[in-house]
Amino acid sequence: MPTGWTPPGPVQPAGPTKRRAVLYEHMFVESIDSRGGSGAARGQARESLALLAERTRPVSSSQTRLLPVLPPLVGLFPDGSLRRGSTVVVSGPDRNTGGDISVALALLAAASEAGSWCALVGMAGLGAVAAHDVGIDLARLAVVPRPGAAWAEVTAALLDGVDLVVLCPPFSPRPAMARRLVARARERRSVLVVVPGRSGWPEHPDVRLRVSDIHWDGVGTGEGYLHGRRMTVTATGRRSATRPRHHHLWVPSTTGAVAEVTVASPTSPTTQP
Amino acid sequence: MNRLLVVRCPELLDEDEGGAVLRSFVDVIDAVEVYCPWVTTVRSGICSLPARGPARYFGGEDSLVRQVVDATSDITAVEVGVADGLFAAVLAARSGLVVPAGGTPDFLAPFPVDVLGHPELTELLTRLGIGSLGDFAALPESHVLGRFGADGVLCHMVAGGRSGELGELRQPVAGRRIDELRSGGRRGGAGRHGTTAGESGFWGEVSDADARAGRALAAVQDLIGPDAVVTARLQGGRGPAQRARFVTWNAQGGLEDSTLEAPWPGQIPPPAPAVVHPTPLLAELADAGGQPVSVSGRGLLTGAPARLSVEKGPWTTVTAWAGPWPSDERWWSRSRRRSARMQAVTATEAYLLLVERGRWWVEATYG
Repeated sequence: MPTGWTPPGPVQPAGPTKRRAVLYEHMFVESIDSRGGSGAARGQARESLALLAERTRPVSSSQTRLLPVLPPLVGLFPDGSLRRGSTVVVSGPDRNTGGDISVALALLAAASEAGSWCALVGMAGLGAVAAHDVGIDLARLAVVPRPGAAWAEVTAALLDGVDLVVLCPPFSPRPAMARRLVARARERRSVLVVVPGRSGWPEHPDVRLRVSDIHWDGVGTGEGYLHGRRMTVTATGRRSATRPRHHHLWVPSTTGAVAEVTVASPTSPTTQP
Repeated sequence: MNRLLVVRCPELLDEDEGGAVLRSFVDVIDAVEVYCPWVTTVRSGICSLPARGPARYFGGEDSLVRQVVDATSDITAVEVGVADGLFAAVLAARSGLVVPAGGTPDFLAPFPVDVLGHPELTELLTRLGIGSLGDFAALPESHVLGRFGADGVLCHMVAGGRSGELGELRQPVAGRRIDELRSGGRRGGAGRHGTTAGESGFWGEVSDADARAGRALAAVQDLIGPDAVVTARLQGGRGPAQRARFVTWNAQGGLEDSTLEAPWPGQIPPPAPAVVHPTPLLAELADAGGQPVSVSGRGLLTGAPARLSVEKGPWTTVTAWAGPWPSDERWWSRSRRRSARMQAVTATEAYLLLVERGRWWVEATYG
C-alpha cells in the first residue's frame, strides 16, 4: 500500500497518493464531485484539467512534457508520469536481478499504447509474449539484442528518435559515458530506462526504482502454476530523495498485466483491471 | 487476414553481382507505389501491397491488377495476383489469379505440400499418403501438434488458409538492399505520394513519431548492421521460445499486425516470462541431500527439488516449484525432443526449466 507521500511539485493535486493513481480515469467524476466544494478541491480540479490537457495532446509530439505510465505505477513518479528527458534506473533486490526487467517493461506500456516508440538495447532474449501482455505495442518496439562494443553509441542513436529506450549495459560504464547518455536523453527529450543488473550504473538517476520482497503466488511443492508476483517497488529520486515511496504491486498479475496489491486481498492476484 | 496484391517478377528472383536485377526491381516497386505507398519487399523479385484500400480507389481488384500489370510490364515480365495472406497471394500471382475474398482455402487445396518449402515435412506427409495442402489442412489441429510439432502447426495453418506467413517467404536482407538503392531521403518509412495523400486513411498514416523512430533505427543499422535491429511478432506455439518470432526491422515493413492470438494446446498459462533465453542456460537441480533430481519415464520427479545452480553458478535454494509437465515435441524432426517443463522459484527469481535426456536447462526467466 502506498505510504503517505505527498507530491512535492507545484502542479500536483492535493490529497492522498491513492487517489492520484485513479486520477486520470476518473478525472471528470472528480471535477463534478468537487464542484462548489472547498477552494482546495476546485484547485485540484483545475490541476486535473491541466494534466488532462497535457495528456490529450498527441504523445508522439515531442512537445509534451510527460509520457504516461500505467495507473498502478503513477504513484512512483513525482509527476505521476515519466518526464521527458529524464533517466530512470530499475534494479532488483540487493545486488541480485529479479523483477527488474518486468518493471522496466511495465514502464513502457502506457506510452507505447499512446503511440510512442520504444527500444530495448542489450537484452538478448526479450520475452515478447510478456511484453505484449503488459501492454507494449510490439509494432512500435525495436530490439537491439546484441549491440556489442557499440552499445553506448547505439543507445545514443536511439535516444535521438525513440521516446523510451531501455538499456541493459553489458558492464558498468565509466561515469563520463553514463553522463553523456543521460545528457543525450535530456537534450533529445527521450526517457532513458537503465536496467543495470549486476553491472551497476555510476550516475544518480532522476528516479531510482528498487524491487524487493518478491513473492510468487500459485506454486508450492509441485502443484499449481506461477500465478503472479507480489513485490515492493521503492522509488527514490533527486527531488524527493529523503522520502522513499514504497508501493506494493503485482508484476506480473495473473494476466501478465500490472496491478496494485490491495489490502482487502493481500494474497490474491485477481485485483488487476 | 490481410488481402494482399503480390507482384512477382520471375526474371528478377535471383540477384546478380552487378546489381542490375535489384535496380530493375526498384523500378517495378516505384511503378507499383503509385497505387499504394505501403509496398513491402518480400524478397528480390517479389513485393506485396495491401489490396483493400487501393482496390476501392482504383475500381476493384481486377481493375487494380490490370493497372499494375500495365504500369510494370514495360520493365520486366510480371505476374500479379490477389489473395488472403502472403503465402496464398504469392501462389495467386504465379497463376495470375484474383482469388475472391474467403476463397483462399479452396484455392490452396489442390497445391502439393512441397510448396510449403519444408522438405522434411513433405517427406513425412507423402509417406502418410497426404499429398495436397487440402488433405493436410483437413487433419485436426490437435493431431498436427502431437505429430508434427510447432513448425508443423504453422504450416498447417498456412495450408488451411488461416495464416499467410511462413518465415521462409521473406528475405529481409534483400529488402534492406533495395531500401538502400532507393533511399534518397525516404528512409523513415514515410511513403508520401501526391496521388494517395487524401486517402491515407486506407493505408494508415505515418506519424511524425514513426518517421523520427525510423531515422533513429536506420542510424543504428548503419552503425552495427541491418540485422541488428529486430521487432517481435507473436505466433502460436507451446513453449515461450516458439511463441515469438523476431524479424529484421525494415523501414518499408509498414504497420503490419504483430500479434496472432491462437489457443494452443499444452501451453503453460500466463503470466509469460520476461526473458526467453535464445540459447537455454545449463542448470543443475538437486534435492536436500544434494542428489541430482531428474524426471522418471512416467513423468515424475525423482526427488523434491531443494537447490538450483544456473550456468555452474552458486547453489540457490528452491523455495517452491510447479510441474513437471511432459512435452514431446517435433518427434518427426531430426531435432526430436522428449522433454518436460517445470517452474522453479528461488528467493529473487523464477525460472522455466526444461529437462531433456536427464539434463536441466533454463529456457526462460521471469525477470
